Amino acid sequence: MPGWLRQAFGDRWLLLVVPTLAFLLIFFGYPVVQMLLRSVQEPTSGLGNYELFFQTEVYVKILRRTVTTAIIVTVVCLALAYPYAYLMSIVSRRWRIVLLAVVLLPFWTSLMVRTYAWIILLQDTGIVNDVLERAGIGRQSLIRNTLGVTIAMAQILLPFMVLPLYAVMQGIDRRLVQAAESLGANPAKAFLRIYVPLSMPGVIAGATLVFILSLGFYVTPALLGSPQNAMLSQLIVQQVSTLLNFGMGGTMAAILLAVILVILLGISRVVRPSAAYDAVGPR
Amino acid sequence: MRGCVRLSVVLAAATLTLAGCGGDDDEAEPAGESGAGASTGESADISGTTMTFVSWGGTYQDAQEQTMTTPFAEARGVEFLQDGPTDYAKIKTQVEAGQVTWDVIDMDPYFAIQQCNKLLVPIDTSVVDTSKMPPELVSECAVPSMVYSTANYYNADKFGDGPPTDWADFFDTEKFPGKRAVFNDSQGGALEAALMADGVAEEDLYPIDYDRAFAKLDTIKDDLIFWDEGAQAQQMIETGEADMVMAWLGRGYTAIKNGANYEPVWNGAQGVYDVFTVPKGSKNEAAAMEFISYATGAEAQTGLAEALPYAPINSDADPQVDELLASFLPTKPEISEQMVTIDQDWWAANKDEADQLWTSWTGG
Repeated sequence: MPGWLRQAFGDRWLLLVVPTLAFLLIFFGYPVVQMLLRSVQEPTSGLGNYELFFQTEVYVKILRRTVTTAIIVTVVCLALAYPYAYLMSIVSRRWRIVLLAVVLLPFWTSLMVRTYAWIILLQDTGIVNDVLERAGIGRQSLIRNTLGVTIAMAQILLPFMVLPLYAVMQGIDRRLVQAAESLGANPAKAFLRIYVPLSMPGVIAGATLVFILSLGFYVTPALLGSPQNAMLSQLIVQQVSTLLNFGMGGTMAAILLAVILVILLGISRVVRPSAAYDAVGPR
Repeated sequence: MRGCVRLSVVLAAATLTLAGCGGDDDEAEPAGESGAGASTGESADISGTTMTFVSWGGTYQDAQEQTMTTPFAEARGVEFLQDGPTDYAKIKTQVEAGQVTWDVIDMDPYFAIQQCNKLLVPIDTSVVDTSKMPPELVSECAVPSMVYSTANYYNADKFGDGPPTDWADFFDTEKFPGKRAVFNDSQGGALEAALMADGVAEEDLYPIDYDRAFAKLDTIKDDLIFWDEGAQAQQMIETGEADMVMAWLGRGYTAIKNGANYEPVWNGAQGVYDVFTVPKGSKNEAAAMEFISYATGAEAQTGLAEALPYAPINSDADPQVDELLASFLPTKPEISEQMVTIDQDWWAANKDEADQLWTSWTGG
């Protein structure tokens, strides 16, 4: 191998990263850069699109609503996934497989099918409302509002929360909790002071994943929500598909990207960034 | 460490440059010269071509395939690829990149008027005979493919005795309590319906008075739900999700045929139509024009009207249909005299502004 190559690559196995890097740069980096360029070139050069975005009241409202909905979905998902992942980590192997299949099986069906299934379940004349009416609670409005969108998105994004949580939890030594109890802590305190902090890497990984995915989610909010709780993704689609305003569409996408980066930066100030990658704690 | 980062960047940049080089060489083929040969009325020999037909999917495109593309393919020795649904952003991207794969596109007339000579080419009238079509439906880059309507379909179980008779009833939630559904698009007809409900006469509908229309829509905002796809409107009628649904003809008819106890209100029903167009840079322009000529001919139009209640645009067409379908055809005199025509030229000029206002109103 020529000297300069050996010198450039301390370890020649690092060359293996080049195909992936090239793939990402060509099929991801280049189109993203293209869109960003369009946002400052169409229809006129300059930051006009960005100005227009922040001046339009309804756009800013939708941006705020998108972030709020994403936060709500993340919290709901976490609340559902944490006990489930904990259960998965303490049961026998056979039950673990069953629990895993239950969470993953919907994941393997088409997103469109799942979303339409939710519409059929939650609509005013649907099964859930029939049950509620028989139970005496009366028919509730379960779709075309944030409630319906949250329910469906939480279910759809559940595997993304359960799996990182489980991956971390299975590596936590439960004897540590027992040790804390033997030292005088009551079970609740032992759990909160020992187990939960140890499971944090999984929480961060799962929450970050679910949050970013929900920010950009299109199909489920579009079908289950009403225009009154439209998210930014629907606005982008309208700009690109209906108005053919690729510039503004690029602007909105760029703003969403900026929001995500800012929030990730904020999280990294509070938590060590690499904490999300510590899949297994000390045994 | 620095050395290997440098090298990866160099290698990746090299790959990027190589990939980027290939894109700009294809230019859009010059349009317009292929139609000149067929001026004598003899059909050009187009056998062996493979064309792509694009429409809106569902029962409509199925019917178009059955009555238009398949007979034409057999008669002329061409092959058809079906694609869809019509996506305006895709058309723009294809034409801009010079990689046009779509040949005949079924679309909204306002878009065809707006994009004539920008994304679409003029229809070759030496090939396509427009003499049998209603002249107000023909424009430079588009000919009508069929006529349909947007109307109020009401729940006959609830409002069977004392049914709604006009758009004012659609906006009257006291006399007719229940949910209303409209198409979530500024040109879905809701603005015109609101103005008509507020007392505006057909001649004065355009230019649309946005303030007045939105004020009227605000009165039912709490009971208003939206649909984005034709299939959703059909489902709303079939499940009874909304008691009055503003839906397209094909969807309303199919829902009622499937057993939904809903009835249409023809008074004030809005007349709309779809058009056939050919994008700029299509690789089979001559064949596309030949196809459009066939698809707007009496035979194909009769066939389509017998499959779905979309009225033929060819005055020679003579569909034989069952009673239910016949009662829905927009060209039936009793229906057509009550209908209101949507001004597509106005929409071509004002859609963008209307969309912004619609988004502000629905999103707020």
